[in-house]
Amino acid sequence: MALQEFLDQLEQLVSEAESTFSATESTDALEEARVEFLGAKNGKLKSVQKLMGSVDKEDKPLAGKTFNETKGRIESAFETANERIQGGAGDAERDTQFDPSLPGASFKIGRIHPITQTIEELKDIMGRLGFSTADGPEIEDDWHNFVALNIPDDHPARDPLENFYLATAEASSGEKNQVNLLLRSQTSTVQIRVMEKTKPPIRIISLGRVYRPDTADATHYPMFHQIEGLMIDTNVTMADLKSVLRLFATSYLGDDVTIRFRPSFFPFTEPSVEADYYWNGQWIEFGGAGMVDPNVLQAVGYDPEEVTGFAFGLGVERLCMRRHGITDIREFYKNDVRFLAQF
Amino acid sequence: MLVSWNWLKQYVALDMDREELENRLAMSGLNHEGTETVFDDLAIDLEVTSNRPDCLGHIGVAREIAVLYDLSLSLPDPDPTAAGPSADSGFSVTIDAPELCPRYTARIIRGVKIGESPQWMQDQLRTVFAPVNKDWKPVNNVVDITNYVLMECGQPLHAFDLAKLQGNQIIVREAAEDEAFEAIDHHTYTLAPGMCVIADANRPVAIAGIMGGADSEVGDDTVDILIESAAFSSMATRTTSRALNLHSPSSYRFERALDPEGIEWAANRACELILEHCGGTLDEGFINDGATTWQPEPVVMRLSQIERVLGISIDAEQVKRILLALGNTETTSDENSITVTPPTWRRDLTREADLLEEIARIHGYEKIPEDVGVPMAASFKSDWDRVASKLRTTMTSIGFDESLTASVVPAAWTQTYSPWSSAAPLRTMSPMLKGADALRTSLVPSLLEVRRINQSLANPNVELFETAKVYLPQDEGLPQEQWTLGITSGQGFHHLKGVIETMLHSLKIEEVLTVEPTQQDLLHADYSASLSLNGEHFGFLGEVNAGGLKTFSLRNPASVAEIRMDLLVQHATLIPQHSQLSNFPAITRDINVVLAESVRWDALEASVRSAVDAGLLEDVTYQETYRDPQRDGDDVKRVLFTVKLRRGDQTMTSEEADSVRGQIVAAIESQLDGNLLG
Repeated sequence: MALQEFLDQLEQLVSEAESTFSATESTDALEEARVEFLGAKNGKLKSVQKLMGSVDKEDKPLAGKTFNETKGRIESAFETANERIQGGAGDAERDTQFDPSLPGASFKIGRIHPITQTIEELKDIMGRLGFSTADGPEIEDDWHNFVALNIPDDHPARDPLENFYLATAEASSGEKNQVNLLLRSQTSTVQIRVMEKTKPPIRIISLGRVYRPDTADATHYPMFHQIEGLMIDTNVTMADLKSVLRLFATSYLGDDVTIRFRPSFFPFTEPSVEADYYWNGQWIEFGGAGMVDPNVLQAVGYDPEEVTGFAFGLGVERLCMRRHGITDIREFYKNDVRFLAQF
Repeated sequence: MLVSWNWLKQYVALDMDREELENRLAMSGLNHEGTETVFDDLAIDLEVTSNRPDCLGHIGVAREIAVLYDLSLSLPDPDPTAAGPSADSGFSVTIDAPELCPRYTARIIRGVKIGESPQWMQDQLRTVFAPVNKDWKPVNNVVDITNYVLMECGQPLHAFDLAKLQGNQIIVREAAEDEAFEAIDHHTYTLAPGMCVIADANRPVAIAGIMGGADSEVGDDTVDILIESAAFSSMATRTTSRALNLHSPSSYRFERALDPEGIEWAANRACELILEHCGGTLDEGFINDGATTWQPEPVVMRLSQIERVLGISIDAEQVKRILLALGNTETTSDENSITVTPPTWRRDLTREADLLEEIARIHGYEKIPEDVGVPMAASFKSDWDRVASKLRTTMTSIGFDESLTASVVPAAWTQTYSPWSSAAPLRTMSPMLKGADALRTSLVPSLLEVRRINQSLANPNVELFETAKVYLPQDEGLPQEQWTLGITSGQGFHHLKGVIETMLHSLKIEEVLTVEPTQQDLLHADYSASLSLNGEHFGFLGEVNAGGLKTFSLRNPASVAEIRMDLLVQHATLIPQHSQLSNFPAITRDINVVLAESVRWDALEASVRSAVDAGLLEDVTYQETYRDPQRDGDDVKRVLFTVKLRRGDQTMTSEEADSVRGQIVAAIESQLDGNLLG
């Protein structure tokens, strides 16, 4: 007999047995079915087993293996039907060795980095407020990192010691008006790039890695993440800014909060403020914000007489540390898998 | 900026509650950092933003208080009596470096009596200096007075012992290369071009705006003094101060845009106090070179802009009161606008937007509501975000943790492994972390370093992925920033390949993943591959070789993979489509073939697929490979695989399945010279 024929019979037997067992409604019917398929003398399985003798010798191992699997499958179909009919109520055989308190067979799962989790949550909240995510390069030129953001040549923020300028730019030529490249010190660069190629209204958040030459310690790291929001339209006011930040903080914290503005100074906004939120009986720094400076609007070709807008920026690490009780920023970039497993 | 409570009281009545005042100052721009008691005075620490150097003196802070509480401000109006000869008859000032010093003035007082400054002055100076410098002591009456005026109005001054200035002249010039200078702090500094020095006929006597010299300072035997009051370039002051790591209250202020009119006011104020407390005779007039060119221009404040930008309306009278109280002078006004000329000490006020901020902060940001109805707008989640999110879900659900590692790495790492680019990596001018100044061209070295760190922490299972950019230099312009998925595992090649296939499956990417040999220094010569997706280069995969493990001090095997995320986004099926499923049972056939060792699985699978109508062939599943050289000969293998067949219109019969199997075997025979076993 050809091996394949034998295997097909086995397969057919399984489906026949499964459908018969699953259709039985009583103990008697089930017993009748058991004898039909699994009966020791004239059961169908037994009959098929006899056919194995006629299979080619070469194919015997595979035939035997498949037969055993088939037997197991039919027996398990019987057990399933039996349990269904007994309903567990009868004096079925008890297993005194069964220990339900033994650990289950668990699966190893990985964790999304807490910074990513924070970013995703912030993106999600801002998405519900109508802000779409924009991305841009991390290596930037003077124009996008400074000039268009109203940061003049002599501003301390442009000091080589405050930035990671790329060595290639200087080494390749000594010319004064060549393009200096640097690792962006803020994600506002993305706002400029979006505004340069999009007409208002604009409602975006930009986020990602930014770089500033801080010595790494518990609260500083030379690379960190920022999230910045930008809204530009014909009628955007500081009251809109405050309201959006309140909704943002309320969503993030899960309870009603109130927002306070303290005056501050950023070249790319005027007025500029530090925004705080009131939470658990204290004012907590949220981030910097303000109305987009008319010079910035002009730099990207907008008319400050036609549109206004607000911008705000937050440090992701700080929010994440506060939320999860992390006390050392360096933990984020060490990637101790025990640390990652906590989130 | 530390301010003394008693000092402030000289200019404005402080009848309000102190804490309330601190809070109001914080809410109007002078952040309150703390208050401490210094004897019978209070030192209030206020944070002053870089645009407000006017508040780096007590008068500026007092003015803020007067504006906030609508109080009158009483300021000194110095008018020292000059009884001596004209100051510039026997002494000259020359600016040789106008870009570093636009204006330099000097006044001369002869016959002063050096002694202690008055107790009240010492007390007030102690309040503002002692909290930050526990060793602070008053110096002498002249030096204390220059410091007092500095802290009063924010204009730094310096007093020289006139007898020690050689040649009766001051020259303001750029420092020479390696010029040595001993400052009052008795450290010797090595100067360089770009730095500004105050020199006499023979040598430097001060680092401009930062610190005076040890051998020209005013001491007990000083009789005649020269009071310097000048303007220095803020940028040069900052870079010099940084380069020398020498910071002083004076340099801190010169780094900012000071009041050009403060130069004469401060000099006169100091002279007045010196004449009063040290005696002596003031020479007539200023010795002057240069001029400050900055002049405030009138600014129009349109009242309509207030509501347009702030979202609240403010009464025109209140607007005017705030602007004038801050020292602006009204030029013209009509019912729609107020035009003012800002005061010289507010060089930050040049535009309507600047005035608007002044009005807002004094009027109070708490008056801006936080519950206006911002119009709704649709937001869009990018394909990139959707893919990245799905990717993270898949990777974590199959047991990989997400890591985040630094973008800037040691340059040696980029030589160890840089499969995406053979160009030298971009370098930062200063290292981001110790020894790390190369923008990474691969995530793999960073991930191997994380393995090493975890090994040192005795963490057994390190299965990690990261999505980040690698920075690939281009011939010109900005570098290519390639979003890349990096993966590392303690398992082998096929495990990691399975991870990639699972990920493609989860993104419903149907394009064919193909592998070709690759040569990478870090990877095992055989257990590595270059990956393509739909024929386009997609990434690399491999087990780290012994040398690579050694480079990263790894004791246990590791494998790595790196793939381009843009292709994932390009090929992912984000909106999968339903297709009708067959209700008829599938039928499987195992096929065991003998093949030459050189025939790869992908060729075998392709051959199988070529032989069968795609509508019938549901799956081709590799099972295993055996080798039995005794029976089959060398360089031959047996490959067992299963095909799953199904028809959409009826049950496939056993005979049909056998026929398909026959087609497959025939194809393998003709295309790959393989034979069915047995």
